[in-house]
Amino acid sequence: MINVTALTKSYPDISRGDVIALSNVTFTAQPGQIYGLLGPNGAGKTTALRILSTILQPTSGTAVVGGFDCVTQPEMVRHQIGFISANTAVYDRMTAWEMVEYFGRLYGMEEAELHDRMELLFERLQMQEIRDLLGAKMSTGMKQKVSIARAIIHDPPVLIFDEATTGLDVLVARALLDTVAELRDQGKCILFSTHIMREAERLCDRIAIMHRGNILAEGTLDDLRNQQAERDLEELFFQLISRHNQSLQPQPV
Amino acid sequence: MNWRNIRLIYAREIRDQLRDRRTLFMIAVLPLLLYPLLGTSVFQLSQFVRKSEPRVLVVGSEQLEGSDEFPALFEDGHFAAKMAGDPKVADWLHVEFAKTRENSPAEKASSDENADSPGKNDSKSDAEKQDSELERAEARLKSGDVQVVLNFPPGFGDRLRQLREQINSRAAGAKDAPATAAAAADIEKPELMFNSGKEKSRVAHMQVEQIVDSWKSQIVRENLLASRVPANVARPFEIQPHDVAERHAQQALMWSKVLPFVLFIWALTGAFYPAVDLCAGEKERGTLETLLSSPAARTEIVWGKLLTVMTFSGTTALLNLLSLGVTARYVVSQLSMMPIGDIGEGMELPPIPSLLWLVVALVPMTALFSALCLACAAFARSTKEGQYYLMPLFLISMPLMLLPLAPGSELNLGNSLIPITGVVLLVMSLVQGDYTEALRYFVPVCGVTLICCHWAIRWAVYQFNQESVLFRESERLDPRRWIVHLIRDRRDTPTLAEAFFCVVLILVVQFFMQLAITANAPANPDFTYLSLSLFISQVVCIALPALLMTLILTDRPRKTLLLARAPSALACFVAVALAVLAHPLGLQLSTWIRELYPVSDSLHEKLEVIGQMLKSAPNSWLPYVIIAVLPAFCEELAFRGFILSGLRHLGSKWWAIGLSAIFFGLVHGIIQQSLSAVVLGCLIGYIAVQTGSLIPGMLFHMTYNSLGFATAHLPEWADAHPGLHSLFSVSADNQQIVYNVPIDCACLVLMIAPLIWLHRLPYQATREEQISDARARQPHHPVPAGASSTGE
Repeated sequence: MINVTALTKSYPDISRGDVIALSNVTFTAQPGQIYGLLGPNGAGKTTALRILSTILQPTSGTAVVGGFDCVTQPEMVRHQIGFISANTAVYDRMTAWEMVEYFGRLYGMEEAELHDRMELLFERLQMQEIRDLLGAKMSTGMKQKVSIARAIIHDPPVLIFDEATTGLDVLVARALLDTVAELRDQGKCILFSTHIMREAERLCDRIAIMHRGNILAEGTLDDLRNQQAERDLEELFFQLISRHNQSLQPQPV
Repeated sequence: MNWRNIRLIYAREIRDQLRDRRTLFMIAVLPLLLYPLLGTSVFQLSQFVRKSEPRVLVVGSEQLEGSDEFPALFEDGHFAAKMAGDPKVADWLHVEFAKTRENSPAEKASSDENADSPGKNDSKSDAEKQDSELERAEARLKSGDVQVVLNFPPGFGDRLRQLREQINSRAAGAKDAPATAAAAADIEKPELMFNSGKEKSRVAHMQVEQIVDSWKSQIVRENLLASRVPANVARPFEIQPHDVAERHAQQALMWSKVLPFVLFIWALTGAFYPAVDLCAGEKERGTLETLLSSPAARTEIVWGKLLTVMTFSGTTALLNLLSLGVTARYVVSQLSMMPIGDIGEGMELPPIPSLLWLVVALVPMTALFSALCLACAAFARSTKEGQYYLMPLFLISMPLMLLPLAPGSELNLGNSLIPITGVVLLVMSLVQGDYTEALRYFVPVCGVTLICCHWAIRWAVYQFNQESVLFRESERLDPRRWIVHLIRDRRDTPTLAEAFFCVVLILVVQFFMQLAITANAPANPDFTYLSLSLFISQVVCIALPALLMTLILTDRPRKTLLLARAPSALACFVAVALAVLAHPLGLQLSTWIRELYPVSDSLHEKLEVIGQMLKSAPNSWLPYVIIAVLPAFCEELAFRGFILSGLRHLGSKWWAIGLSAIFFGLVHGIIQQSLSAVVLGCLIGYIAVQTGSLIPGMLFHMTYNSLGFATAHLPEWADAHPGLHSLFSVSADNQQIVYNVPIDCACLVLMIAPLIWLHRLPYQATREEQISDARARQPHHPVPAGASSTGE
């Protein structure tokens, strides 16, 4: 479903020269699977997901979603995905209903089908009470619900969640994670980036631990535990990152 | 492009803007309130103007009192209504009389008794008194306490009276005619003092001058009558003005100057605020990324937003027009009540057809302004930054809108090709009812406007495709770090920005060098001077900046300058052949251009001087070196080398070729040369891109310039070989050589073969061009919703 091969992204920075945000990243995610990108801030998770959602272009490497290339066939890729990120806000001057309807139409849905699906989603995500509320008046949790409804309105085979629980309270975050698990059970291919160990542990079928643009380790949770001989994910994560940091430091002569 | 998406985005943006109070205020409320408010303030102003009457201080007015032989200049403490022409004006000017002598008869009598030699002493003390009074008056004038000082010097009244007495006695038969002349010559000049640094004083001065003039004429008339000479001796006839323009034509002329300007300024203002909100505002609010991850293509997003901005721009302009129209009558009636002049007297609103034409013209103008605003707004990181870009946009558009208002500006082919100016002139013609004139230039004006709209929209789309623009972060301003970054992080070939900077650098260096060359021109410029100035303008101004930038800012200078691989011999031959074939067509083109934009006399003289300098060359081949070889090397290095390589990052070779050709035209300075240079630049650019080498382009350039120089000798050669006369003709008016039509046609047909050969060459596309091509080929049918591998 998602094939990422040797994906690299660098961008020029006045003070630091060319900054490598993503270095030679390769992974594959399958339908019915939640693929987690776990890493601290600045690990390159958002860059990778922005490339997959065709908002950014890679410097080199390929990213293929549902058989379509992210660089040369971006419009087809965008039909295949639903993208939810901390940066994808809702419109202040639009109600929840209008916003979801607008995106449904942009995805080319027929009116009758769109409205049936909207009713279903508003019911399932418990959004009926914010149906006619303007985005500006919504709480963060409400906004996140609208974002999810907006991203899955066209029932895409691939869903990308980029730090989607940031700023949410425990209850709302838990509800979101339940929704993600539900979507996985429906057979969606889900990319889920987070820096919270508990979320990764609870949700992800496969995890890639990222740091400074590199994937340090990849596999199922059990694979990772076996590879690193460490049961606790948080500990495992720390060890990997410390080792990577050490390897990046110049060796004494 | 999917129009359904564009419609969806348009509908959403319109609804979004209508829900925004700030936008609604700017678009709808402000225009509806602005003009009534302005009207009210004009009314208030007019009341204010009437209240603040200008003060006129009259010094020495006593001399005029009690003499019935002259017409009265003052009546009841004001200027006489008869002299002022209009009683309102007479009332308006507040007159203050400065006392310079005791003039009550009783006082005068007592002073006469006490004085030994009354007349002399009296006059002396009067003069002193008047001088000190004048000093005081001047101080008051400077301070703005009074606006005009009218000074009758001592003895003015007496001399005037003496003159009249002499005329009377002469008329009665006395023989003292020479004395009359002497008296007339001796009359002291009254002085009208005013302060040109103060507007109020200037206005009052004009009025008082008119009144005093009128009084003078009246005295002349009466003097003539007294000397029994017919009054019309001094003014044997008057010129009777007769204006054949009908009232509506006068009105149309006035409206044609006001309305397009007001309308287009508002169209620009109305486009800007929604554009900033729709681009920079969305970036700030984080909703742009949401939209970018939807299936809508960037082009569709730009079009949807563009149509929204256009709608608001047009609505703002129309509401302003409406509000202006409704308020105009009121304002005009108030203006006509003002005491000065006859501004607005009998003004009418413009006729309906004129207004309709304005509305029609509004469409392309809103499109142009909206696209420009959208591109600027897309570049801005925040709403605040976006608003900074309004001023440069105004600075560029305003002169183009004001140009047609200059006296003597008229719709002609040259002006019709200037963006914005052409449309304003066309609308002015339409409002004035010159339909035939307007129709003649309709196509060029619309053509230029459409091209500009297309470019502006492309620019906006380009901005939306730039991730550096969409995700720009604030950088610390540190020129040193920035220069280090430019050199340290240089790419194989120059960036787009570096290419644009190179053009600016060339233009700036050229400007200063040309100033220096002109300032140091010898009295009799010869070939050495010409060679030196051409060397400076080519090597120092064009080649040097491009070469230095290549060496400093690029990693692979040879690749940048298209010198990495040697061209095939066939490519070189094709380029030379194309130059030979393009030469007659180029001559024809420059003839047409000269017909369109005739060469001015001064330019003609300059060109002749250059011709003379070339003739004074020490040998026959040296002119070819400086006219053909030098530009071919220098200009190609810059325009098809550094600049074209940078522009190739645009993602379209056609855009790169076109823009580099326009810049190539720009440095030619003279418009007639620039236009043909643009066309040739396109051809050379195409050769460079297709062959991947700079050499064939250089050969083309060299051959073309050599042929151009050699053509000047064609008439001489034809005199030696009369057969040649059948090939060309020399146009009588501008001495331009033109090949005959069959030759032009043959060249045009023969050019097809080398062009096809070039077209078939496998050109090296840049990464951006490859991506653009691949994207253009991607399927556009949307995947039906729910067509994923799984269902609910």
